[in-house]
Amino acid sequence: MRLLAHGIGVVRDLPIPAIYFFIGAAVVLGASFVLLFFLWRRPLLEAHTGGRRLPPAFSRLVLSRAVRILLGTLSVALLGLTLATALFGTTTELLNFAPTFIYVIFWLGIPLLSVLFGNVWSALSPWRALADAAVWVLELGGREARPVLEWTGRWGRYPAAAALFAFVALELTNPRPFYPRTLGIATALYTYWALAGMAVYGREPWTRYGEGFAVAFRLLARMAPFAVRDGSVVVRWPFTGLAGDDRTRGALVFVAVLLGSTSFDGFSRSSTWQDLVGNLRVELAGSSQRTVDLATTFLNLGGLAFFVAAILATYLAAVAAAEKLGRGDRSLVPDFVLPLVPIAAAYLAAHYFTSFVITGQFIIPLISDPFGRGWDLLGTAEFAPNLAIVSPETVWYVQVAALIVGHVAGLAIAHDRAVVVFQGRRTALEAQLPMLGLMVLYTLGGMWILTRG
Amino acid sequence: MKKLIVASACLLAVTVIAGCGSDDGTSTETTDTTTVATTTTTTETTPPPAGPTEIRIVVVNGAPKGGIVREKVDKDDSVVLVVKSDVADEIHLHGYDVSRDVEAGGTARLRFKATIPGRFEVELEERGVQIADITVTP
Repeated sequence: MRLLAHGIGVVRDLPIPAIYFFIGAAVVLGASFVLLFFLWRRPLLEAHTGGRRLPPAFSRLVLSRAVRILLGTLSVALLGLTLATALFGTTTELLNFAPTFIYVIFWLGIPLLSVLFGNVWSALSPWRALADAAVWVLELGGREARPVLEWTGRWGRYPAAAALFAFVALELTNPRPFYPRTLGIATALYTYWALAGMAVYGREPWTRYGEGFAVAFRLLARMAPFAVRDGSVVVRWPFTGLAGDDRTRGALVFVAVLLGSTSFDGFSRSSTWQDLVGNLRVELAGSSQRTVDLATTFLNLGGLAFFVAAILATYLAAVAAAEKLGRGDRSLVPDFVLPLVPIAAAYLAAHYFTSFVITGQFIIPLISDPFGRGWDLLGTAEFAPNLAIVSPETVWYVQVAALIVGHVAGLAIAHDRAVVVFQGRRTALEAQLPMLGLMVLYTLGGMWILTRG
Repeated sequence: MKKLIVASACLLAVTVIAGCGSDDGTSTETTDTTTVATTTTTTETTPPPAGPTEIRIVVVNGAPKGGIVREKVDKDDSVVLVVKSDVADEIHLHGYDVSRDVEAGGTARLRFKATIPGRFEVELEERGVQIADITVTP
């Protein structure tokens, strides 16, 4: 028997039992109606968005140049290590540092930090750090760092949505998403995308509209109880940062990619989808491996696109109904995008909680032997992760609780927006019904996927 | 779903009977057959201890015959995956990290004790094809 320090996809969740689903659903519906009929009649959230300043000394420390340089250096080093291990390390997927680092530590860890502490990515992005360093060097040489082209805003957030879609497609449609060389090439391409974009359009515009991860993490960070305003750190009620509308083009599509990909990830692990993929492989049994992989990729791509499209279509339908009931004369599409952010965060938490706490442990041995060569740099190579660290019951509680919290938060934010948008209490209530239905649909849909075995 | 459980339990019953060579199984107790794994009482009463739960998988053309094999076992059961394959590959049980090479036309046996609850994939590692889905219930 050969033992591997196998990590990703190691333990998948048991489907949540029906009783958890029904209790969760009852709470969701009950909370929805309580919120709708007994809560505030005047917008509340926007007044609290500002928050309270923390002591200036703290802000100076946290936002200091020294901290930025330290974190930037560390993250550039990690990017370098990821590229090096992916391109030159062992091809045994999970003895290599890169797959676990990219899919678990980075893609699950940064969203968690963003929701808890605000937009940490602005200090942790290796691409931003490289660009900052490049500008600093240019300015040292007495030259001015100017973008080549001006960002007109015409493309809105579509470049970021495309970048995020490319990443989730790599993760969810490719039959071998953890293969180190593939990840090496993808990381190199993304590095090019991030750096070239910042060089052409400037660091700030590209961070806000083109760098998919930066946009995703910034959006999630709006839920956080911490933010930075005018050079100081403020503390505020969680979720208040999501008040208001989002008129950036492509804002809805971006959120739809985030929600659609997470739900497709859950669904693609169900027996329904696995059998579909399995049958396709049986059909193509005589063909070459390449053909079979390509067909699998296209099938998965179709599924992913369908989930994203379904999110878009249901949102647009609910907004159209709300517009009709509200008798307004303008489009409400930008008004209810931000309430979807807590739901997206809840999906992430519910679907990836187990991966994060179980697979995350594998980074401890991997950091001592990142290339899979039998090294033991930090003496942690022999660390044996505890795969039974969380019981299935704990996982179910966390999943249902995350979805309920996300749902209630999203609904409260949507309610707050509705009292801004619609004149008169009666209209506001009526026009909110489609949005309420939409959110119940998303939450119960997300929970239903978790019941699929 | 219920049909699937009954079907897989029946399949398991058949494989267990075939595997142990015992002939007294009337296999009417469909749900009990999944927990054939030894408990102390059974070892005391029946002299030859009941063997581990066997799960048989047949791979044809690099794909599981009859679709992905889905089985449930209880936590702490002893389980053996018996994989007969017409292609050479490496059989890998995720999570428990048991893997065995199988030759074309050969059979690989992967033995493990189901100590971790959850769902676990069994894959033809080189092809990246899932052949079974083992659920360990707490």
